[in-house]
Amino acid sequence: MLGLGKKGVQVSFQDLKKQETLLTISILSLAAILSFATRLFSVLRFESVIHEFDPYFNYRTTKFLSENGFYAFHNWFDDRAWYPLGRIIGGTIYPGLMLTSVFLFRLGQILHIDIDIRNVCVFLAPLFSSLTTLITYLLTKEIFDKGAGLTAAAFVAIVPGYISRSVAGSYDNEGIAIFCMLLTYYTWIKAVKTGTVRWGALSALAYFYMVSSWGGYVFLINLIPLHVLTLMITGRFSHRIYIAYSTLYCLGTILSMQISFVGFQPVQSSEHMLALGVFGLCQIIALFEYVKSKLSPPDFQALLSFALSTIGALLGVGLIILALSGKIAPWTGRFYALLDPSYAKNHIPIIASVSEHQPTSWSSFFFDLHLLAMLLPAGLYMCFKEPTDARFFLALYGATAVYFAGVMVRLMLVLAPAACALSGAGLSRLLSRFLIPVASTQRRQKGVPPAPTRGPVALSFAMLSIALLCSYTIHCTWVTSEAYSSPSIVLSARAHDGSRIIFDDFREAYGWLRSNTPADARIMSWWDYGYQITAMANRTVLVDNNTWNNTHISRVGQAMASGEEKALEIMRELDVDYVLVIFGGLTGYSSDDINKFLWMVRIGGSTEKGKHIHESDYYSPSGEFRVDREGAPALLNCLMYKMCYYRFGKVHTEGGRPPGWDRVRGAEIGNKDFELDVLEEAYTTEHWLVRIYKVKDLPNRGSL
Amino acid sequence: MWKIIVFILFINSINTAEVVNKNVINKKVERTIDLNSQLVKITGTITLENTGKEAVRNYLIAFERGLQGSVSYISVQDSLKNALKTSQVAVVGSGTSEIFYNVQLKQSVEPGKTGTILFEVILTKALQPYPSSITQKEKQLVRYFGNHYFYSPYDTRTQKTDVLVNSRAVESYSKLKPVGQTDSKISYGSYDNIPGFSVDTLSVHYENNAPFLTVTRLERTIEVSHWGNIAIEENIEIKHTGAKLKGPFSRYDYQRDSSSNHHSIKSYNTILPALAHSIYYRDMNGNISTSAVKAKKDYIELELRPRFPLFGGWQSSYILGYSIPSYPYLFKKPTGEFVLNIRLLDHVFDDMYVEDLETKIVLPVGVSSIKVKTPYEVRRLPDGVAYKYLDNIGRTVIRASKNNLVEQHIQDIEITYTWQTHMLLHEPVLVSVALFLAFIVVIIYVRLDFSIRKAEHSKKD
Repeated sequence: MLGLGKKGVQVSFQDLKKQETLLTISILSLAAILSFATRLFSVLRFESVIHEFDPYFNYRTTKFLSENGFYAFHNWFDDRAWYPLGRIIGGTIYPGLMLTSVFLFRLGQILHIDIDIRNVCVFLAPLFSSLTTLITYLLTKEIFDKGAGLTAAAFVAIVPGYISRSVAGSYDNEGIAIFCMLLTYYTWIKAVKTGTVRWGALSALAYFYMVSSWGGYVFLINLIPLHVLTLMITGRFSHRIYIAYSTLYCLGTILSMQISFVGFQPVQSSEHMLALGVFGLCQIIALFEYVKSKLSPPDFQALLSFALSTIGALLGVGLIILALSGKIAPWTGRFYALLDPSYAKNHIPIIASVSEHQPTSWSSFFFDLHLLAMLLPAGLYMCFKEPTDARFFLALYGATAVYFAGVMVRLMLVLAPAACALSGAGLSRLLSRFLIPVASTQRRQKGVPPAPTRGPVALSFAMLSIALLCSYTIHCTWVTSEAYSSPSIVLSARAHDGSRIIFDDFREAYGWLRSNTPADARIMSWWDYGYQITAMANRTVLVDNNTWNNTHISRVGQAMASGEEKALEIMRELDVDYVLVIFGGLTGYSSDDINKFLWMVRIGGSTEKGKHIHESDYYSPSGEFRVDREGAPALLNCLMYKMCYYRFGKVHTEGGRPPGWDRVRGAEIGNKDFELDVLEEAYTTEHWLVRIYKVKDLPNRGSL
Repeated sequence: MWKIIVFILFINSINTAEVVNKNVINKKVERTIDLNSQLVKITGTITLENTGKEAVRNYLIAFERGLQGSVSYISVQDSLKNALKTSQVAVVGSGTSEIFYNVQLKQSVEPGKTGTILFEVILTKALQPYPSSITQKEKQLVRYFGNHYFYSPYDTRTQKTDVLVNSRAVESYSKLKPVGQTDSKISYGSYDNIPGFSVDTLSVHYENNAPFLTVTRLERTIEVSHWGNIAIEENIEIKHTGAKLKGPFSRYDYQRDSSSNHHSIKSYNTILPALAHSIYYRDMNGNISTSAVKAKKDYIELELRPRFPLFGGWQSSYILGYSIPSYPYLFKKPTGEFVLNIRLLDHVFDDMYVEDLETKIVLPVGVSSIKVKTPYEVRRLPDGVAYKYLDNIGRTVIRASKNNLVEQHIQDIEITYTWQTHMLLHEPVLVSVALFLAFIVVIIYVRLDFSIRKAEHSKKD
């Protein structure tokens, strides 16, 4: 489909090859540039700034790594978070992201390219998207052909499902992990095709990079064994697979255990057991084949029945002992949520409270994949039509990714490249079926005459595909621009006259905290804002987005949900100096703390100490969550309510509404004139988005 | 530290101690003390008389003990408005806690004759908020402690002092008769025949809502490029040094209180050179969106709003940067040397007070024989080296620092250096060579066959 040539001119094979190389390189580089450029909306619209919550933590740790070196980073005990527990950062993160950016930063320094570490962090995700484009090309080319590779590369450059996690400023593990994942797949396919130790080892290295950068490596280490298992079942198991998988598994497991956060999990936890089992199975099958070739059939039968019974018994006993002694880690909650979408909601409120852990709606498949959602089955069909080892892999990848993306919104990210590769294959095949190129290298070689299928059908199909591809491009650009390019740290809104209003309240508040509170002040806030406070305000927080200690978060939830007296008790117990709440009632910012409040109640009530907190107490008699006069008394008098609405009762927010009109809930607040006894307002930002309160000292003892 | 001590000793040894000439008499002294801002600005006229037999060539201006570290700026002119050379000296027979400035008169005063000099003095940290902490709604009151008499080593015949302060704002003031008050000032004196070194405390307690904003540290980096651009970046830490905020800050009250006359600081204006462009205003967390640029006829006014309003005791920090074309500042002398004339300190806000200034001037790659001429005494720090984009040779950085500065210190520093014009092409050539080598390597790699076996496709059909 790519060949170009002039009629009547004898074009030599060499020239055609050159033309093809030129076309391939130019299409690929255009796709890579496009994938970088389309992710820059937020930088152009706002500034080069880190987005959202987790990226702030990654940015802070990267800065620490660049300033203090690897060993200090590895041994870092952070006393700014989880007061009074602290957090061992070196042992509880995937360091791949930070190491990558610091490597690029240092490389720049050596060449005297004077880039700020923050800019390295901001532009890392777009850079890796460009690399992903290239690796998608290689992967698809390896599985199908060049045309499919180029189409897939063009698709992946702008697929919204991937852009959502990799715009400039979205400095998160996923930004580089998708590249690592596809790199591992590519090397794996190479290893499967060649059956050499070299490619197996390379794929182990790629896997190591993947493990060091994202917890999602678990998907990968289950997918590859699944692929091997499928090949076994379908009778395609061969020495090539044996060599590839044994090399990958041995090296990969040893390497992955070097990451201290992963530690011994690859040999202990259930999530990795499939890989181990398949590895064992490989050895058994290999042994089986070997022994079979050396023994006579009756001897072999006897040996087989003896071996099966002994090994089976030993294995069973061993598993039971390991499970009882706790060596095999229980399945973690996030993993259960993958298999059973309702698991988390019923068992772990903190997992359910994160919006990106929610099941995906049908519309978001279309939103994030658009045309690919339709082309994906075509690609799957292609995989089964002319099956090869590699195509089985892609089919498996596609099918499992569709399932997981349906379970959790954020895993759409894993599906996106698979969808691109499959759709690329599908579309490329369709196009080459209808549009016979004038000349191509293969056809020239074979000397096949051009088929006379260029009829109205071909033309209309071409028009249709062009229209579809155009709408795909328009959709992707629109989604990127509208949905995925807001830094969420700076908000913007349109004024009546069409001009843009910027709400920079978050940074205003964090700047205030940084400048005007004691350096060791402890800030209590809901865990969403923990990473931002430590990174931007450089102050100690009680809980943050690394939700590792449920009881601690629950304690904060209890303080927020209790009345002032009880809250003071908890706050004094936790040594709180300042409390920070997000309040959108004045501006209409809907993801504020009042709207998150029910989660605080649920999480607060989920532990032993919070047994007195019942979710039902916070609903009005008619069973609704409302903040006006009808609201439950427990709600109207809890600390969160009072902090959000302190002195709000006098403010006129909208014309024609009574004072104290909450623009998010669309209600006049129910409890207006109250004073705070245990707190005092320390700072409120310009649009009241962030309100900071200081915990008052105990009053001096009055005269008796 | 020892460098500074040596430096001070050095200063002391060259400025040998002066002796007070008892034959000089202040015939008439008129002072004006302006208390309307956060600074104390004293201007005055001294008519001095030589009662001795020899001509008088110099005159000593003295400051009381309490003013050590607070005299920021002094300038003395003669009656024809010519600036006179002034330097700090030690005086025989007095302690080190008083401060003396020696003024070299242009025209010596002959015996029996009189001469006139004008002086201007800026004192910083001389106004104390009292009460020292106030709530959001209260007014900010400050106290000024001074001297009813002109503090001088010489006897004074007759003297008058006007204190400029809005009378409606005055709570109380010391009343050494004769004293009078009008709308805008309090007049003391005249007092006659006051002997030298007399002290009688003058105090004024009054409302002062002028911004009490201190620049606690200002780091100014000037980067010169011979491609025609000078980039300036200022790292500024500011603090509200007025009465501290007591109790809560209420956004509701703050938004309702629309009077401009409030002790908190919402915004201020910074003046930049008229040719400034590419202005940025940010802090550690990124861009600060609340600023406005107004181009005036011969300067650019930048209205800066810190991220949050500053109340007493609150602080903030930000980075302000801009570029200016180099032609008004960088000249080539006929001898081939280059001269850079640029402000050592620039305007931050009106009536500013800078506690600590460090100016760094990054010169182009490959400069030599650098000569620095500063407008006033500064502490030269050891030169540094900076590496900017693609620098393989470092750039010399001139560093100077000074404490306690005010607006009057906005003056030019002059740096003379030699520089070869061909250095302009140093980096482009470097990059070209690097790219050329890279291409050569790729070409060689692609064109030559490195494999041991003969590749199959090399047999051309």
